[in-house]
Amino acid sequence: MKTCLLYEDNDYLTDSPYFDSKSIIQDLGLNTLFLCASKKVIYEKTFVKSVKKEDPYILKTMQKVMMIPLRTEEQMLYRQEIVQDCINNEDMIRDLYAQSELLLAEWNKLGRSLKDKMGNRNPVVTLMNDIQLLSLFVNHLHNIRAILDYHHVNFKSRGLNALRDRLHEEFSNEFEQNLRKLLKDISFYTEGLTEEPDPDRTTITTPRIVLECTIENGLKLSSISLKEMSSEQKKFHKPGGAIDKVQQFMSSQIPDSFSTIKKSAVKEDISQLEFQVVNYIMSSTVPFMSSFSNFFDQLHQQTAFYVGALNLHQQIGRFDVATCYPTVCPKNELSFQDLKELVMVMEQRIKAISNSCSLKNKMLLIVTGANQGGKSTFLRSIGIAQIMMQSGLMVPASQYQSALFPSFFTHFTRREDSEMNSGRLDEELNRMNQIIDNIGENSLVLLNESFATTTEKDGSVIAYDIIKALIEADVKILTVTHLLNFAQRMYQETKEDVNTTVTFLSAERKENGERTFRMIDHAPELTSFGLDLYDSIVENRDKTE
Amino acid sequence: MSSNVSILDLKPSPHLDVQSAPYLLDLNLNQIIAKINLLWEYSDVSKFFQYFPLDEECEAYRRQIYQDVKKPAVYEGLLEVMGLLQEMQEAKSKKAQDLSPLQKSVWHIHHGKLYCDVIQKLGQVLGDGSLSSDGLRNVSDYIKSYLETPAFREMNQELNAVLNALSSYRFTLTYENNRVTLSEPVENREADYETFLDENISKARGDLRSPFLAKPQISDFENEYLEVLYKKDSQFFKSIGKIEKTYASFEDEAIMNFLSEITFYLSYRKYQLLMEDRNFHFCMPNTDEEQSMSASGLYDLALATVTMYENRPVVSNDFFYDKGESFFVLTGPNQGGKTTFARSLGQLVYLTKMGLDVPASHANVHYFKTILTHFSVEESVETGRGKLKEELVRLAPMMDGSKSKCFVIINELFTTAATYDAEIMGKKVLNYFINQDCFGIYVTHLWELTKAHEKVCSLSAMLDENNKQSFKIARKQATETACAFQQVNKYHLNYDELKERLKKN
Repeated sequence: MKTCLLYEDNDYLTDSPYFDSKSIIQDLGLNTLFLCASKKVIYEKTFVKSVKKEDPYILKTMQKVMMIPLRTEEQMLYRQEIVQDCINNEDMIRDLYAQSELLLAEWNKLGRSLKDKMGNRNPVVTLMNDIQLLSLFVNHLHNIRAILDYHHVNFKSRGLNALRDRLHEEFSNEFEQNLRKLLKDISFYTEGLTEEPDPDRTTITTPRIVLECTIENGLKLSSISLKEMSSEQKKFHKPGGAIDKVQQFMSSQIPDSFSTIKKSAVKEDISQLEFQVVNYIMSSTVPFMSSFSNFFDQLHQQTAFYVGALNLHQQIGRFDVATCYPTVCPKNELSFQDLKELVMVMEQRIKAISNSCSLKNKMLLIVTGANQGGKSTFLRSIGIAQIMMQSGLMVPASQYQSALFPSFFTHFTRREDSEMNSGRLDEELNRMNQIIDNIGENSLVLLNESFATTTEKDGSVIAYDIIKALIEADVKILTVTHLLNFAQRMYQETKEDVNTTVTFLSAERKENGERTFRMIDHAPELTSFGLDLYDSIVENRDKTE
Repeated sequence: MSSNVSILDLKPSPHLDVQSAPYLLDLNLNQIIAKINLLWEYSDVSKFFQYFPLDEECEAYRRQIYQDVKKPAVYEGLLEVMGLLQEMQEAKSKKAQDLSPLQKSVWHIHHGKLYCDVIQKLGQVLGDGSLSSDGLRNVSDYIKSYLETPAFREMNQELNAVLNALSSYRFTLTYENNRVTLSEPVENREADYETFLDENISKARGDLRSPFLAKPQISDFENEYLEVLYKKDSQFFKSIGKIEKTYASFEDEAIMNFLSEITFYLSYRKYQLLMEDRNFHFCMPNTDEEQSMSASGLYDLALATVTMYENRPVVSNDFFYDKGESFFVLTGPNQGGKTTFARSLGQLVYLTKMGLDVPASHANVHYFKTILTHFSVEESVETGRGKLKEELVRLAPMMDGSKSKCFVIINELFTTAATYDAEIMGKKVLNYFINQDCFGIYVTHLWELTKAHEKVCSLSAMLDENNKQSFKIARKQATETACAFQQVNKYHLNYDELKERLKKN
């Protein structure tokens, strides 16, 4: 039984994750996003009442699933549909998640992990656990089916509709009833385990087993076939009591029969026979159990992702951020409106500046301009949106259109730790070397202040060579750089060419030096206006003194 | 067939008592025997491979039988007999356990019935008229008349009747209210639980096994219902004990002996088929004393057995003793396949003497009384003897004056002695065996020994065009210089090679 909520045709996360997802998470600050996704927001009317503590499993799942990029538009649409169904049917997805979590917890209590570790346990205990587990499976599958049935009129997604259909096929009402009959037939074996203890002991469940057999292999019980099996609840009579005495006498009158309790050795033997019969009956449920053995794990993981998506959606709703489902376009295009850097929004809880942009026939975007002008934020906002898009989520923009880049890399150098140091440059080049090794079809590389660990002159040459080679290999690059020699050189080379795939943006700086944190089309200049900053900080300080 | 004729030895062999002859170890025959024994799952056959039959006639007697056993119908049929025989042995061993008298009777009847099956199958396999060996035709005649005896027929019939009755004995056990009731099976039962499981849960499920099968004894539970059955059907159960007494003993000694001895042939055949499957060839050796002793495509069967699964090629060689020649002196580079070749010669003689097929594409082998081997061993710390002394101690009994017409394999004798001494001693040894009318091979690094006697033929381990070991052995006069150059080339130390190697540095 497949769940198939993440992929239409596959339950397992077989696609490879991003190369160096650790760096992506760090560079884009995605842990904040994962954490938000793992917290449920509780509303009262339209106000946020409280935010629940994070769910570590959802946190883990978001981290895992979001780091495995979707490969096709079809895959992306498949998830987007389900995300929308989950937003429209909030209880449904939360209940499915809770059901699977509950079952897995019960299963663990029955020693699921123990069974894997130590094969040799008491076989009777194992059998009793198997019976209880079967009962758990039946009850929870019943509930899951009911949840899906209750909400399904609202379903628009293929994924949830197909899940409901499959469940009806593999766990039909009729099959459920047969399993329940089987459980009832062998209920004598687990008496006292499943029900509430009965202090008065008024009833007792006893078996009726009919076997047909032969005496082969040296007069031994052989070729057994099971003819009847049932359990019946009877009135309990005290052993040795009056009614018991009457019954004992009556049964001793039955011809060709013998008591199974008179001799303790026979009593022991019969309990072995009971075990064999129940074990045999239970073995017929093995195909059912194994076809659903991964189902709950899968359902748990896959619903965790959508609960995470739902939480994230609700968290975003707390801030003034527009959201939309992104659409796919050719890879030399990129356009968006009102895109915000979500991590910053969530961390600082501020209304961030939004950016809009529309690029056609561009493979290299070079962002230059004022320090502290929002260049890195701009680059990160695209990176975060791209990751969200590529895992089927909504993005924080009113419109977002981009290609899918399963081969996605970030190469960020943070100013603050960019000492000039050959060891660091070596590290940077090493990372770049690894990226080059892993470049695939549809690659997107985000370069943030790369090669800032050497002199601007050297860095420019390195950047030029690498970036030139990459774009010639049809790799899309978005770079924020202070390497003005490099930017100038690119600009001079391409400014006459009307078909150039290179474009330049710059952090806006007004005449008075004020920064708007918006990106505008702008040819690179030879200064990044550090003097302004110097002025505003150093000079102003002098004035105030 | 009179009951004392063996299919292994037409006449009793005097070698039966020989305990682990040195050649078994030196020729790596013990590796082959171990493999044969491993493949043969029914019984231990290694004892059959430890001794030679009496004489030429006895060897030919075996060879004929082996050619019969090789016929697919005979071989497959006899394997089936072996399967039945094993079942019979199991039933027999159960009888020996600590069981109730009635159970013992039942196992005895099983044993008897399977014995009948074995004999009948054997009669069928050997009775189809395709046999050409004296040995197996004798057995076939014997079995044929045995099967026709009224005693056998009656026994077969009665035992089968009892067992059929026992195995068709079905009854129903109903367990409820702490009581088990026995009754006749119900035909066309309405609701059958197996059907319910089949149709509504799954057809795939485990077996419903009796929990009491682990022990051969009757459990307390089984005893309870058997008591009921005994009462209901006392006539039938009493007849079982009676029949056991009627057929208290039945195994025919001659047939049982045959069934044991045939495993010698069958086990080797099984091994041979496995090797042939791996593209190792075999042939039946000729034993023409008029023609010179020779073989083509001869390889070391022990090496082939050990490396069977490694897909490593095993080198094969051709050889012949020309008229007037009786001893090879083999020289050549180390690791050049000298010992392997010497071993394959010994294996050729051994297998021919055993009456079996040999690892070659063609072979003519003379008759030898036995095989004498002398291989150098690691110096023994325990005995404290020097290596030379140790070698001489082992050599002495080989040259005690009674060893004419033997096949002799000597590998690297006197390596620790001074060359001058070694040469003299080696010549003495060679001359001794040649004068005793022995054939053989002497592997040595002393090229001078190739001139020890006019009956000596010089063989050499060859290098290929790149001066690498080819493991091929050819008739070639050894010379001092040739030997020396081979050593130099082997280590790539000649002038041209050295130049080339040094250029790289």
